[in-house]
Amino acid sequence: MRAAVIQTRKLTKKNRVHELDLEVREGEIYGFLGPNGAGKTTTLKMLLGLVKPSAGAIRIFGESLGEKRSAILRQTGSLIESPSYYGHLTGLENLRVVQRLRGLPDRNVEEALRIVRLEKHRDKKAEAYSLGMKQRLGIAMALLAFPRLLILDEPTNGLDPAGMEEIRELIKTLPGRYGMTVLLSSHLLAEIEQIATSVGIINEGRMVFQGSLDSLRSRSRGEIRFHTGDNALAERLLAAHGYRPVPGGGRLVFGPLADREVAEINRLLVARDIPVTRIEERRRSLEDIFLELTGRERSL
Amino acid sequence: MRVLKLEYYKIRRKKIVPMILLLLAAEMLWACMSNSLSISRNPDQAVWASILFMTASLNGLFMPLITAIVISRMCDMEHKGSTWKLLAALNVGRSRLYAAKFGCAGSLLLLAIAVQAAVMAVYGLAQGFSGGLPAAWLLRFIGGTMLATLAAAAIQQWIAMAAKNQASALCLGMLGGFIGLTAPLFPAGVRRWLIWSYYLDLAPVTYRYAESAGTFAAQPWDGRIAAAALGTAFLCFIFGNLHVARKEI
Repeated sequence: MRAAVIQTRKLTKKNRVHELDLEVREGEIYGFLGPNGAGKTTTLKMLLGLVKPSAGAIRIFGESLGEKRSAILRQTGSLIESPSYYGHLTGLENLRVVQRLRGLPDRNVEEALRIVRLEKHRDKKAEAYSLGMKQRLGIAMALLAFPRLLILDEPTNGLDPAGMEEIRELIKTLPGRYGMTVLLSSHLLAEIEQIATSVGIINEGRMVFQGSLDSLRSRSRGEIRFHTGDNALAERLLAAHGYRPVPGGGRLVFGPLADREVAEINRLLVARDIPVTRIEERRRSLEDIFLELTGRERSL
Repeated sequence: MRVLKLEYYKIRRKKIVPMILLLLAAEMLWACMSNSLSISRNPDQAVWASILFMTASLNGLFMPLITAIVISRMCDMEHKGSTWKLLAALNVGRSRLYAAKFGCAGSLLLLAIAVQAAVMAVYGLAQGFSGGLPAAWLLRFIGGTMLATLAAAAIQQWIAMAAKNQASALCLGMLGGFIGLTAPLFPAGVRRWLIWSYYLDLAPVTYRYAESAGTFAAQPWDGRIAAAALGTAFLCFIFGNLHVARKEI
């Protein structure tokens, strides 16, 4: 198992984040998912030492953030909330500010500009950039030191679909090309689904799911629905054989069933001359699971 | 040092130096014209003390304004671009950034005061004031004005960094300018509590009113006023720094 890059234990910020145990492993793209106001940004700010936790512990690269903040931040790049920039300076000059503060070589600036495709706009004032360009400038600043850990808070916010796709593709390449671990927050499940390898779902400040995307998908086990000519009789019959369906909407609904069990139920019904008009499987989408986990059945 | 150098880099294109020079030009033009007018009415006024006193008086109005503008321009760029958050996440101590900003603003203001001294020297020599260049007075003028300016700057920076909206910081600058201009009208006991009145109190010369006329006189260095200015600057810098550095972003 790969080493944990970020590990929090019972991380708490009064009224915002409650006993959060977050674990991000090396080389992962960890999708930190949650509805707006769930506590994502507060958590990320705590990981960077911008907000002081009320309780709990944070370990990054195996070291305590409280004790080794400087060493940890030297290896961390971040983009929190909206991109930060000096509007009166050009894109290049903004990167130079970060470069000088971090004592980085000139080639990093060139490389970062190339990665985010801002070379042609390097001499334009940042205040004249479009929202997407500002976002890319923010990502370039975060990437400038080619850090071991990259923390991006909703990096595709405000971008058009093409810009979103471009940023996603860029993020996907970072662990492979530069050995980075990426912690990425978003309120968009579809976005996380496309790029993350692991996911943590936070709701009202509490972690409601953490694991691989595959383990999240495994929660999408379907339900089997039987439509019969006499549901009441069918329910009694099946109950006598140990099956307990949930009646509703003119059908019998079962939880996940093995193929063998579906065949057995069908055989029992047909043997008692109960017409089976339809057998259907309904799989829950990741979105259904997300909405269920976050308790928001309605639109986010 | 790296953080301080970066402050100079960050203020490029903010037109801070041209703005200082513009305000200084207005102030020194006012001082020189007014002084020339006095001399034309009374040739006895053609002394170094007259231009030093006139500039120190006008500094009560102009220096709080210049200080407020310089510091607000420097702090506003951090608020506007949310860069405080960026810098704090870059392993740069917020206290160091605060100190660097104060150092950078202080150096610009010192430059402004040095320009004033240079203009006074040129004006005095051009007017043929007797006694040669009063280097000691000019140095005291620079030192005294700088002490008062540092105190005003420390208060300005505290407010400008703590509040995103620069209106309050600029209002304080204007209020300071008003107090500085009208300072001679306040009783000494009240003046002591108003740092914007220190421009005159720490000047090397003063004006003593007699029954129907007045005369310029050398003003002894008031250690208590100097200590009060330095103490105000120190305390406001420390508390402002602590307040801003501890503020959650």
